[in-house]
Amino acid sequence: MNEYALGQGLWEMGFAAAVPFTLVALSAMAVLLADLWLLPSQKRALPWAALAGVLLSAASVAFLWNEEATGFGGAIRLDRFSAFFAMVFLLGTGLVVLLSSAYARREGVERGEYYALLLFGTSGAMLMASAVELVTFFLGLEILSVSLYVLSGFFRQRPASAEAAAKYFILGAFASAFLLYGIALFYGASGSTTYAALRESFGSAAFPYSHGLLALAASGLLLIGLAFKLGAVPFHMWVPDTYEGAPTTITAYMSVVSKAAAAAAFIRVFGASLSSLQQDTSAVLWVLAVVTMTLGNVVAIAQTNIKRMLAYSSIAHAGYLLVALTAAGEAGYSSVLFYVLAYVFMTLGAFGVVSLVRKGEGGADAGAEALDISHYSGLAGRHGLLAAAMAVFMVSLSGIPPTAGFFAKFYVFSAAVRAGEVGLAIIGVLNSLVSVYFYMRIVFLMYMKEETVPVRGSRSRAGWVALAACVLGTLLLGVLPSSFARLATESIASIF
Amino acid sequence: MFLDYLYAAGFAIAGFIFLLLALWVGALVQPKDPSGRKLTTYECGEIPVGQPWSQFNIRFYVFALSFVIFDIETIFLVPWAVVFKDVGVVGYVEMAVFVSVLLLGLAYAWRKGALKWAL
Amino acid sequence: MELPVLSLVTFIPLVGAIVVLLMSSENEKAVKATSTVFSGISFVFSVVLMVAYNRAIPDFQFVERASWIPQINVWYYVGVDGISITMVFLTALLSFMSVIGSFGIKDRVKQYFALFLLLQTAMTGVFVALDFFLFYVFWEAMLVPMYFLIGIWGGPRREYAAIKFFLYTLLGSVAILLAILAMYFSTTPHTFDIVELGKTHPFAPGLQMILFLALFLGFAIKVPVFPFHTWLPDAHVEAPTAISVILAGVLLKMGTYGIFRISYPILPDAARDFAPFLAVLAVINIVYGALVAMGQKDLKKLVAYSSVSHMGYVLLGLAAMTPTAMNGAMLQMFAHGIITGSLFLLVGVIYDRAHHRDIDGFGGLAVQLPIYTGIMSLACFASLGLPGLAGFIAEFMTFVGAFPVFKTIVMISAVGIVITAGYFLWTLQRMFLGKPQEKYAGFPDLSARELVTLVPLQVLTVFIGVYPWLIIDFMNSSMESLSHFLRGV
Repeated sequence: MNEYALGQGLWEMGFAAAVPFTLVALSAMAVLLADLWLLPSQKRALPWAALAGVLLSAASVAFLWNEEATGFGGAIRLDRFSAFFAMVFLLGTGLVVLLSSAYARREGVERGEYYALLLFGTSGAMLMASAVELVTFFLGLEILSVSLYVLSGFFRQRPASAEAAAKYFILGAFASAFLLYGIALFYGASGSTTYAALRESFGSAAFPYSHGLLALAASGLLLIGLAFKLGAVPFHMWVPDTYEGAPTTITAYMSVVSKAAAAAAFIRVFGASLSSLQQDTSAVLWVLAVVTMTLGNVVAIAQTNIKRMLAYSSIAHAGYLLVALTAAGEAGYSSVLFYVLAYVFMTLGAFGVVSLVRKGEGGADAGAEALDISHYSGLAGRHGLLAAAMAVFMVSLSGIPPTAGFFAKFYVFSAAVRAGEVGLAIIGVLNSLVSVYFYMRIVFLMYMKEETVPVRGSRSRAGWVALAACVLGTLLLGVLPSSFARLATESIASIF
Repeated sequence: MFLDYLYAAGFAIAGFIFLLLALWVGALVQPKDPSGRKLTTYECGEIPVGQPWSQFNIRFYVFALSFVIFDIETIFLVPWAVVFKDVGVVGYVEMAVFVSVLLLGLAYAWRKGALKWAL
Repeated sequence: MELPVLSLVTFIPLVGAIVVLLMSSENEKAVKATSTVFSGISFVFSVVLMVAYNRAIPDFQFVERASWIPQINVWYYVGVDGISITMVFLTALLSFMSVIGSFGIKDRVKQYFALFLLLQTAMTGVFVALDFFLFYVFWEAMLVPMYFLIGIWGGPRREYAAIKFFLYTLLGSVAILLAILAMYFSTTPHTFDIVELGKTHPFAPGLQMILFLALFLGFAIKVPVFPFHTWLPDAHVEAPTAISVILAGVLLKMGTYGIFRISYPILPDAARDFAPFLAVLAVINIVYGALVAMGQKDLKKLVAYSSVSHMGYVLLGLAAMTPTAMNGAMLQMFAHGIITGSLFLLVGVIYDRAHHRDIDGFGGLAVQLPIYTGIMSLACFASLGLPGLAGFIAEFMTFVGAFPVFKTIVMISAVGIVITAGYFLWTLQRMFLGKPQEKYAGFPDLSARELVTLVPLQVLTVFIGVYPWLIIDFMNSSMESLSHFLRGV
């Protein structure tokens, strides 16, 4: 067999579908190995190597943008949907890498493993979004999760970080078990693990009643696993502790990539394949959405640690995502996609600011991270640009125009109203009203209070580039959402 | 279908009963002579030293991990070798990818000093 | 290609804000000059707008329309008619005056002017938007700069006032958002087009009432209608002078503007059913506002409560729905803008000198500050409705128009006029008459800059008082057609 035939064979097997995340995984290995032979002074090159991997993969996604391929015996699929999510993950990862370049060095965790695990996690997330088979999806989830377990405990010397990792790991393992059990039941009910088979088995009303019960139980278990990843109440217990203890850049990564991956898998499984069960699931989702939004927003008000506050805010945002998932339909799901994209910019931006701010001279712990909300008092006086960026993210997170957060919420709530879930939309809108209080409190402290603890902002150029990108993205998605909304709609159309 | 489950259950119950039976018969016929030497922990004839809750060197753990990884590699390699001719070039490439990933891992472990006993 | 005048009026201040942000914060003079220029250009274009506007037809003019978010049928759709053109002009005028009036700002000058210009764009946008989505974006976008402007440069209780203002208004906006969504989804094809909805008004009476109430909550908080008014005294008192001018002069008008532009044309049945309640709320506003104003010791608070009272006349005119009453209401919106605007500027002037606003703490200022006393008296007389000044015409028209519809209510409202006259005259007496006080002896009278901001407003007040047709001419045809439509004549 000549080389050409080999290439042809691989292509026909659908290797194209695997190219984007394979490239990410390969660059992860390259970073891992490169680190072993680098001198300590050369470690600065690591983030750039990781970034190169991200860009390479992004280029491959762009190259394959209009392709459609199913690979590995119907296990993974490349379509607009997986391409969209691949881009979201790569965008998130790229920004996190940029933010990490200064943060990791200062915190003494600049090791190859850090960036390698980030990339491995991203490849797992991409696998989750492109999987069209339950076991493959589970594989992606585990690659992502295991990377995150390690990364959240990356500050080995700090008890908080160890606690974060331990909590995340133990609860995550539970969630995985639920998920796996769900997958097993699906297999039992339909005799296959591919999404196509699921759709066929449960698409017609003719499937036996006992199998229907099995499918419901399986859906419930799968839902629990995904809700855990999404950080939805009541599976949110790990979120505040893990978000608080993990390195800030990793928290940012977790809140964005992990959530988006869960949403992607959710849409593929429940939206595209199990739409026949929608009536049953939407009732559950309705309740989940309401309690998630409400608990997240209400508890966030009481927080004094900014990472914890953002953790509860991310729970609340998982609630808004659940509103869109409850609404279902193409409008609901495309609003999820838009929301995820907007969320990348505003949340990464907010965590980015947190990662760049630290305690200044004078105190006993100068140089430590400034994580108390009160540390943000008077930030505008000393670091006008950082404060302005944070203000943009806070305004966007509370959903005030003309920012990405506004249009994202508008899209979500209008999808809910369109689906007839007016009550849910009203609860959601009221919730975002509550959220204004704690988001604007940060703005209030930064601009209207005097400095209490001296803080200083990092001068990391890479970090500033990432923040600038987040601000631009937040504003662009708010002012000209049209082309991004079209992108989301097209992506959803590609899987229905 | 239901009958199949019944068979399986029958086997399980029978097996369990057999186990209990064997233990019971053993308890009936064996001589009982508990003495000091016999009640100590069995360590290949050596006299036990120290507490059972002693710390193990972390390296045992690393070695065990590496062992499991390559053990699994073998598990994959054997069935692959059996159907080698059927899976063709693509199968060959896939296994090459798998083995090279493991090799990279091995290189990583080596370079990190995980294969050396002394620090 | 025609000049997109409306976009220019709206977005030139935004360009100014960006330019200001890019400037060095050291060079405060340049920042102030740049802001004045950009706000000035916007004002000039608003004058162009007034001149070029065809007053004979009630239709939308200077319409610009471009697709913005085609997926959900959102347009960048702007235009003005008789309802909005005077408001656009008022916004540009008061913003320009306020920029000049803000030269005294010492702290974080760059941010102040950038935020101010941002605010101007958002405010103008509210008055020109003809697409619900666009309208809502501007409506909400206004909140953030306002929050900062009150919260950073305000008085001692600024933080409380800022967050209260923010949350109150946001609560109202949320109701508006839900109403907008409900309207969008109950039309086929789904549309955010305010003009189209105003022509077809396709909603069933029951739904209309729900929508009307939701919208009314949003607008009533802005006006503010009793009992949603409690944010107003805090915000007005704590805000820096120029921002109080904008709050009273422009922001309050958005509530009544919203009723004119959205609630009335789109929900006529609900409007008719609701009108008597509106009239009752109006009379409560008038009398309650006036009574509370009477009890104030703080000059700024007094002016703030007088706003509550004066906005009551606008509501009364709205409720009556006759052409005369509605013209009166529109004119009152304009007149109140310039009169209360100048009152707040005047309060700022005396506060800059005396560093307090306690009415009883003054006395005999007429001798020490003759020019100030003259202009203050003029503004107060205008506000209490002295014939020959702008306020009188507006209130008179409102009463005349409303009398045939709500006889009792108009008669009760007239009590409000008496109380208003009472507290303004009493204030003038306490501040300016009596024995001159030693501690105010060295106060300089109005500076040239202060005169620049005050005199145009006074001239306008007198001019409209003598020749009200100048303004009424703009709105008359729109008001008549709206009134005829509402009353089914």
